[in-house]
Amino acid sequence: MSTPLQVWSYRNLISNLAQRDLKARYKRSVLGWLWSLINPAATLGIYTLVFGLFLGGVAPEMGSGREGVFALFLFAGLVAWNLFAGVVNGSITSFLNAGPLLTRTYFPPECPLLATLAAVLLQSLLEVSILLFFMIVVGNLSWTFLVFIPVFALLSCFALGVGLVLAVLNIRYRDVAYLTGILLQIWFYGTPIVYSLDTVPENAKRIIQLNPMNAYVNAMRRGVYYLDLPTLSNWVVMITSASVSLAFGWWLFSRLAPRVIEEL
Amino acid sequence: MTADAIVVDHVSKDFRLHKDRATSLKELITRRDRKSGADHFRALDDVSLTIPEGSMYALVGHNGSGKSTLLRCIAGIYQPTSGSVHATGRISTLLELGAGFHPDLTGRENVYMNATILGMSKKEIDDAFDQIVDFAGIGEFIDSPVKIYSSGMYVRLGFSVAVHVDPEILIIDEVIAVGDTEFQRKCFDHLYSLRKRGTTIVVVTHGLGTVEAMCDGAAWLDHGVLQMTGTGGVVTAAYTDQVNARERAERERVAARAADADPDGAADAEPVGSVEDLQIETVEFIGADGAAADVGVYHEPFTIRMHYVARKPVTNPVFGLAIHTSTMVHVTGTNTKIDESPVGTLEGRGHVDFAVEALPLTPGDYEVTVAISDEFIQHNYDRHEREYHLRVRSGSDRQTPEGVMDMRGLWSRTTGDRTATGSETVRR
Repeated sequence: MSTPLQVWSYRNLISNLAQRDLKARYKRSVLGWLWSLINPAATLGIYTLVFGLFLGGVAPEMGSGREGVFALFLFAGLVAWNLFAGVVNGSITSFLNAGPLLTRTYFPPECPLLATLAAVLLQSLLEVSILLFFMIVVGNLSWTFLVFIPVFALLSCFALGVGLVLAVLNIRYRDVAYLTGILLQIWFYGTPIVYSLDTVPENAKRIIQLNPMNAYVNAMRRGVYYLDLPTLSNWVVMITSASVSLAFGWWLFSRLAPRVIEEL
Repeated sequence: MTADAIVVDHVSKDFRLHKDRATSLKELITRRDRKSGADHFRALDDVSLTIPEGSMYALVGHNGSGKSTLLRCIAGIYQPTSGSVHATGRISTLLELGAGFHPDLTGRENVYMNATILGMSKKEIDDAFDQIVDFAGIGEFIDSPVKIYSSGMYVRLGFSVAVHVDPEILIIDEVIAVGDTEFQRKCFDHLYSLRKRGTTIVVVTHGLGTVEAMCDGAAWLDHGVLQMTGTGGVVTAAYTDQVNARERAERERVAARAADADPDGAADAEPVGSVEDLQIETVEFIGADGAAADVGVYHEPFTIRMHYVARKPVTNPVFGLAIHTSTMVHVTGTNTKIDESPVGTLEGRGHVDFAVEALPLTPGDYEVTVAISDEFIQHNYDRHEREYHLRVRSGSDRQTPEGVMDMRGLWSRTTGDRTATGSETVRR
């Protein structure tokens, strides 16, 4: 079992793997790094068009008292979701792709997943800066924006835990990757991102509140959109889900990884 | 220097066979009733060995004997099913060259990546970078994506990174053989200097010459079972014996089958002829008096006589012999092709002699190998690998030189050289 300390001693490798991911990602594309802006912008545009304009989604009033902007309301939640989904999907592929490396040289098998986490976090920070820019433009800003830091930290742990489990199971059962694709879609719509929790019926609301992602999205929104602090229950859910997920994921991964490496 | 760098303690390794593997959830559920534990393949079976610090150690064995699995267990990539492996020191592995090279990234970026994987820090890589590129002979290509590299460049860069990690333990699978001869020589030189600096090197090899020449120790694996360990020479000798025996058995089996299938003209089917066509019956040593002798005498006439039996006419077979010391140093070897003495067409019984006027071997114990192969030395008719023991004793009235061989040199002295003249004058 690799301890976090052992993994830490390989931080050089992790940062190099992350750099390699980022460097290789946009090689041979004309727009290069711009794609990491274009991609979220396109998603945001589509969701705003469909859910805001066509389906008439209305954004609540902002923390500054300004009239709600649906695109920003959506973006605040989407940033958190993108981090989560990016880490989960990235974990599965990065562990699979690390196969040729892991069977030829020894390093803690957690490293490629942590590298993915680093790369996704970087992308998320980029998205947060864009969000920040627009919040400044509309004049809806307060120090509560900084809430994104603890939220990102906890969300990273939560997502990494889920990613570790799925990545290691996926080696033996490739169904996991396909199943994850579907489950993430359901999860996305089961989290109040393209809609507000206030607009759903009471009994559906209760079910959604069981979803830990709801706490992250809500905490993020409170900080950057409503200019308020996350609720106590948000904190409790985030801290509990993050620690349980990471502890379980790490334990299962270090138990199974040495055995599945042979099958990579 | 007597400490053990690697201790392999009763290591066994099982692999699940793929046919037993449920790769989808459906299979997992429908095959639940299957007894688990069946269909396992044992790649290593209770292997124990120790590799001393600073030594060069070879693993030999045929394909699939578990050598690579053992290397991976030592490197920590595989965990043994039972038993344990202890390795002391920083391990660098060279299991497949250029593993981890990303085709789209440049040579430079890949060097940094690969060296980091092998455990080097950024600063260490900066310091070694020029050396790495220089050793690999990549030149200006270092800033091009590695996918445009030739396979040779790929291999050289991979090797160069792995050896410049300055590892305490270096683990190498059969990868060096890929480069050209010049690069191979460079590799061996580098390995040699690493060993001198105290690096423990574990290498899997089929190039048995390498093992004999460079390795302090060796282990022979067969189907996952450790056959023997010992010095490089002894282990390779045993291994070669077995390979030869198998080859002979295989050839005999093929010949027997051909004879069964086609009792009238069995041998015609084989292009080179059947091994039975020409065999060595016995080998005799003939001493100075022309009679058979048990021992050779240093600096006296000596003949190795090979009695053959040719069941069919065979044209220009090549007779060869080799002499090893009892510690497996290859002293010399030659054949009728090297010496340009064709034997002509053989039929029936006869003998071929190899005679020396004065036996140049110093007193001691030697092993003699004799063999007959076809004209092109492609195919052995017969080979007796170190089956004949030769003891050489000193002649009564002659001092013997040191080492195993007499150089037969002539000493002489010449006066009147420019530098020497002056001093002689003074002395006079």
